[in-house]
Parts: sequence; C-alpha cells; structure tokens
Amino acid sequence: MKDPINEPREYRNDARRKMFSSSFSVTCLLVSSLAIVVLATLLLSIFSTGGGWLSAEMLTASHRENNPEESGIGQAIIGSLVICTICGLAALPIGVGTAIFLEEFKPKNRFLRMLHGLVQLNINNLAGVPSIVYGILGLTAFVYMFGAFSPIRVNDQPDYEIGATYSYQTKTLGGNYVRFPATPKIQPFFEIKQPRQVSSSEGQPFKLNVVSATTDAAEYKDKLEETVILGTKAELTSHNGVESYTTQTLGGTTVFFKAEPTYSQFAKILEPLMVSDPEGNTFELNVLSKSDAIPTNPEVLSKSVFADSPDPTKRSSASIFRENSFFHMHLPFSKSVLSAGLTLALVILPIVIIASQEAIRGVPQTLREAAFGMGATRWQVVRSAVLPSAIPGIMTGAILAMSRAVGEAAPLLAVMGGVLGTTNHLSSLMDKTPVLPVTIFKWAGDENQGFEHLAAAAIIVLLAFLLLMNSVAIFIRYRYEKKLA
Amino acid sequence: MNRTVLSLVLLTSLLAFAAGCGKPKTTEPSNSGTTPGATKSDNASLSGNITIEGSSTVEPISNRAKEKFNGSFPNVNISVSGQGTGNGFKALGAKECDVSDASRPIKQKELDVCEAAGINFYEVPVAYDGLTIVVNKENDFVNELTVEQLKQIFREDTAAKTWKEINDAWPDKQIAIYAPGIASGTHDYFVEVIGKKDGKGLRADEQTMLSEDDKALVTGVKGDKFAIGFFGFSYYDANKDELKAVSIVNPASSKAVAPSMASIESGEYAPFSRPLFIYVNSESYQRAEVKEFVDYYLDNIVDIVKDASYVPLPADVYASAKAHIVKDLSGSHYLDSEGNKRDGAVTEVYVEENLPE
Repeated sequence: MKDPINEPREYRNDARRKMFSSSFSVTCLLVSSLAIVVLATLLLSIFSTGGGWLSAEMLTASHRENNPEESGIGQAIIGSLVICTICGLAALPIGVGTAIFLEEFKPKNRFLRMLHGLVQLNINNLAGVPSIVYGILGLTAFVYMFGAFSPIRVNDQPDYEIGATYSYQTKTLGGNYVRFPATPKIQPFFEIKQPRQVSSSEGQPFKLNVVSATTDAAEYKDKLEETVILGTKAELTSHNGVESYTTQTLGGTTVFFKAEPTYSQFAKILEPLMVSDPEGNTFELNVLSKSDAIPTNPEVLSKSVFADSPDPTKRSSASIFRENSFFHMHLPFSKSVLSAGLTLALVILPIVIIASQEAIRGVPQTLREAAFGMGATRWQVVRSAVLPSAIPGIMTGAILAMSRAVGEAAPLLAVMGGVLGTTNHLSSLMDKTPVLPVTIFKWAGDENQGFEHLAAAAIIVLLAFLLLMNSVAIFIRYRYEKKLA
Repeated sequence: MNRTVLSLVLLTSLLAFAAGCGKPKTTEPSNSGTTPGATKSDNASLSGNITIEGSSTVEPISNRAKEKFNGSFPNVNISVSGQGTGNGFKALGAKECDVSDASRPIKQKELDVCEAAGINFYEVPVAYDGLTIVVNKENDFVNELTVEQLKQIFREDTAAKTWKEINDAWPDKQIAIYAPGIASGTHDYFVEVIGKKDGKGLRADEQTMLSEDDKALVTGVKGDKFAIGFFGFSYYDANKDELKAVSIVNPASSKAVAPSMASIESGEYAPFSRPLFIYVNSESYQRAEVKEFVDYYLDNIVDIVKDASYVPLPADVYASAKAHIVKDLSGSHYLDSEGNKRDGAVTEVYVEENLPE
C-alpha cells in the first residue's frame, strides 16, 4: 500500500489529478448552464411570440372566437385569482392543523402512534400523486358529492340551495320579455323522475324504483309492487290528514309520499297579472284570447300576451329562470369555481403540510421547553411559542404551493370543463369560469395562428404572476426568519 | 410583526375574492344587428342561463353563436365547454347541459341513456367539416388520389412502403405518414371511410406519426417532401400557403375534386366531408332563453359557420331542421329502429321519414 501523504510531492500534485478535477468542474458548469440556456431560449421564444400582444385590452377582454386581436384574458385572470384564493383558504388551515398535529401532538398510545405514522406516510406519498388523479377525486367528492344528493341538472331545481331567486319570463306580442316572481307551490301533479322513499296505504315505508319504458320487463318482474315507469304522474291527495301525492305501482299497489312545495318549470298565463320589466317597472299584463283583435299600438303590444290553453298537456308560454346572488350555493357543488378551488386545495395540501412540518421542526426546542417551564399547556405552547416563530416558514411554503396550484390545468379540466369564456363575469361560487392555464392550453391548439401569440402573451402573464408570488415568499422568509437565528 | 404578515395575506386574498365576485357584465358589441320587430332594449329583457358541452370541433361554432347572440341578448349567460363528443352526450343524458355539440351522430348506447332518463332531443346539423389530405408543397407527382389508393397508403393491412408501390410512375421513396391520434374524432372519421367495414384500422408502424396536435402534423408534412397527412379542412385552410391539398376522386362521379368551401358545400368533395351537429334537449327548448338562442343559431347559421371557418350545409337541411323543431320532432335520423347506423349524405339521411315514431 502506498501512503499518499508520504509520497513524493510531484506524485501528490500530479497534473492528471488536477486536470480531472478541473474537467469535472467544467462539466458541472456545462450541465448547469445547459439548464439556463434552455430556460433562456424558452423565455426568449415566449417573449418574441407573445410580447407584442400584451396590451391593456388583452388583459381585460374575454375570448372571441376566431378573432385573436380582440380576445383577452380578463375573465381568466379573475378566475385564476378566485380559485387560488379558495384553494389557499381551504388548504392553509387544514394543512397547518395537520402539521401541528403531526409535529406537536405526537401520541403516546401504541395504536394512535401507528395511526400517526400512517398519516405521515400517506402525506409523503400523496405529494407525488399526479394532479389529474386529484381532478378525478374532486369530481367525485365535490362535483357529485359521492351521489349523496340528487345531482344538479338543467330544468330541475337543486334540492339544497341558497341565494337563488326564481322568476318566470314570457314574450309579449311586442317581442320584449316581461317577468313575474315564481313561488314554490304544491303542484297538482308530480312527475316521478327518480327513485324516492314512499309508503304504502298501511304506512309501510319503502324505496320506489323508477324504470324507463324501454327497460326490459324481465329485469323488474319480481318487484312490480315497488316499481313505476319513469315520468309517471302522481296526483295530489290527502293521506292521513297530510297533503300527499299518490300513484299506483306496476304491481297495482297504491303508494303515498308527502307533497313538498316546488317550483314548476313552466307557468300558464290565463288571466291578467302584475309583471315587471328588468328595470323594475311594474304594470299589468293584458291577456288576450285568440279571437280578440290584436292591438296596433306598440306600447300596448309590449304589455300584451295571448292566453295559454288551460289544457295541461299544451305548452305553457312562461318559463322559469334563475338569478344568482353572490352567495348562491347548492349541494352538490357541481362543476363550479368552488369545486375547482377545493380540488386544487387537495392537490397542494400535502405540500403545505410538509412545508409547515419543516417550519415547525425548525423552531428551537429550547423555545418550547421555556414555555413549558412557565407552566404553559401544550396548546398554549403551540399558540404562543411555536406558531409565531414558524409562521414565516409556513407562509413561504403555502405561497410556493399556491403558485403551483395557479398553474394547474389538468384537474380544472376535470372538475370545471374547458370553458374559454362565459357571458357574464364570475358572480357566484357556483359559476364556471375560464382560468389562465386552461385558456393557454386551448389557445395553443387553436387553428387560428393568432391565438398562438396570444397564448404566449398569457404565459407571460402567468409567469409574472408566479414570479410575484415567489418573490413575496422570498421576502417573507428574508424579512422574518432572521429573528430566530 | 407576524400578525401583520398574516393579516396582510388575508387582506390580499379577500380583496382578490371581492374583485372576482363583482358583478360587472360584459356586453359584447353587436355585429349582427337585432332581430326584426324587437329593439335592442327589448332583447335585453331576456334573462337566463344556457349550458353547452361537447365536441371541441363544434365548440368554435357554438362559441361564435354565443358571441353573436349575446350581442343582441346581453343578459343570457351562456357557457360553452369542449370536452369531446362522447362527454357531451354523457352530459346530455345526465341533464347537465341544454345543448350538446357533436362531431358525429349519436350512438345507440348514448341514445339508450337519454331514453332511460326520459330525455328527448332535437338533432340539428349545423355545418360540414371537410377532411383534407395534404402533401408537401414540393411534391409534384401526387395531384389526385382515389379512395382505393388512400386505403393502400393508410390501412394497416396494405401499408404501402414506398410511393412506387401506389403508382409505378412515382418515386421509389418511403412514404411518411402524419395522422391525428386515436382520441381524435377526425381519426375515427377517416378510419370509418377507409376501413371500418372490413374491420381494419389505421396503420401504426415506424413510417406513421400519430399526434393529437394538428400543428405537429402540419410541421411534419411541411418538413418532408415524401410525406402525406390529413386533418380538418379549416386547419388546412389556415395553413394553405404551406401545404398542398390532394384532390380526391369522388367514387360516385369518378371525378377528382379539390377540397374547397364550394366543393364541400355542394357535396362533390366526397367521401371526406362530415356533418357536425348540435343536440338540443327538447325540454330545455321550451325555456324562453334556450328557444331564442337555438332559433337565433339557426336563423344566422350561415354567418356563424363561416365566421368559425367551417362550411355551411345546404339551405334545405337547415330548413328541415327548423321544421322538425317547430313540429317538435325529436330523436336521431341516423339510427333505425334496430339501432343500426344509417350512412349517407346529410341531405339524404336528414329527412323526416328517418325519425323514430
């Protein structure tokens, strides 16, 4: 064995060794500059394609089909901001709470310790799950809520809803529309469209099945007594002193269920009633019969309609529509901004938890011991000693996680669909909205070449957004983390 | 100090939220004028919400219809989303949308779902989408191709290696194929024409490049003198200076026809032009805003379709679509009572006799 220390000098500082060392550092430099070159090329190409398309109009306008010059990302920016906010508000408390539980409330009981370890293991694994998987999870958990509520459908009112006002509107002979408020009423008929809980005349409760007329009869021949055809009309009656609907099943048994007031989808106009225009002017609607002479005065025409036929099978002229207040909500959330924000919260939750755990772990043990020494309970230690010192680290992690969320497209495509633009700006959490990443994705594939430039411009905006968030994170870390050292 | 940070962050989030929840409405400038007999303020009195889902190929047409309609009816909130024809029919069957966009007629399975849920729909053809076969601009030997030759080039069982195999006069060079991927409706449609009957699909060997991104196909054909590819006519139209479209020999008339707005509209460019549809939930159509929208869509269909760079259908197809809606005739023209698909030109299939009883 040679002893390198005692080797002659010229062997130790052998030129070959030196060259190897310096060539290694050159390789490292090349590899790292390769990444920089790729990034620079990317930025350069994006700026050269999209830079000229950035303008105030582009930042405020919405998507115009086949017209990139007048299209913009106004709605998408607001959509991204709102979704990011919801995501932060949902992920932050849960994430920090979990981190505190995992770091500060370590259980002593053997079973709980195993649970604790399981949660920790899961979180570490979940951080690497692709975001589209969370998209599918969000679809089940938020959009359909595991089927616990009847789904949100067009032409049906949701079962659980707040912040919506329903009115009927009808077209006058003058061509304008007038409206009158809708009130939920117990309807004379109830169309059975989905399975529901009913009771027999003896009061025995059971679930009524609904089958379509095209279903093979053999499939339900054993339970004819509990089955009706889709769209069967139940009549209003009084059952044990309660207003109820009643109908006969295919097996001939009579079933009852309680009548709840509902909005009817359409309303018949049979006699004059008070209506209003969208500006809020109210006036009485003239209801003409087909045999009446049609007035010629346009003023009168705009306040007149023909009476509907009282025959219930004939179409009614007034149809329902909904106006949403800003707090409009329904269950399940369906494909909406709220579902999207909560889904993104799921995506970043593991990252927030891990970052918060790191921050909490970074708080010196002496701080906790000092607080315990002063007689503080565990919660008091967490609240007054650990959290205040860990907040900068937690906020940094949370902001970095949110900047990941703002760039996600895949889960949003799953839970909100690829919306490029809506007529109105976002007015409630139940609306759909375009967002920046989805807009970029759709524009980049548009056959109109102009949208390629616009997509690049939108990428610049998104990059600026990310840069801003990251610098806030750096600022917070720099400004507040020094104190502890 | 830490409290300041926290409140600062909370405040910013709240502000962002408040900004998002404001209620300013965009009124798109009208470039279509207003419907006769009603002034602009009259149209503004119509309110409501319309949801449109489905094919991303039809999405531009519906988007354009939405823009034009909102120009005259600013207070009807419409959302259009393009997630694919299959997802659109799923949404129609689940009553999640009022109108479903489709780049192919409904399938029996999808119809069954709608029937089971008690949903009736009006089937409305809105435009032609011509499929264009393109070669490199410098390719001077291929000017026209027959369907048989296309089968030789594109089918998995024949899969010609070189151009010489197709025609002796052509160079002995490898054919490079650029085609849309299997998730695309265009791919399905092409396969339907060249090999579906024999149960044969598109070749997938080392000479074939499949891509969902039409831009990649354009770049591929542009860069190789011996390349051939296909995609939607509107995509060719946007890139026609850089590519050469191949005329296709119409199997009925044996004449080679170049793809153009005129030849697709007249039906001469066959068999590579397909109709695009919207499916309207007939219960939704009874709602004032959906009725106005669909009527407006059909009344202005030629402008809407051309604005979105698609080819309009013959006027009598639109006329019969309107007539079917007025007469409340729902159901698909493309499925017979046994559930088999009817093939043929839209002018032949889209007739009242083909509707279910």
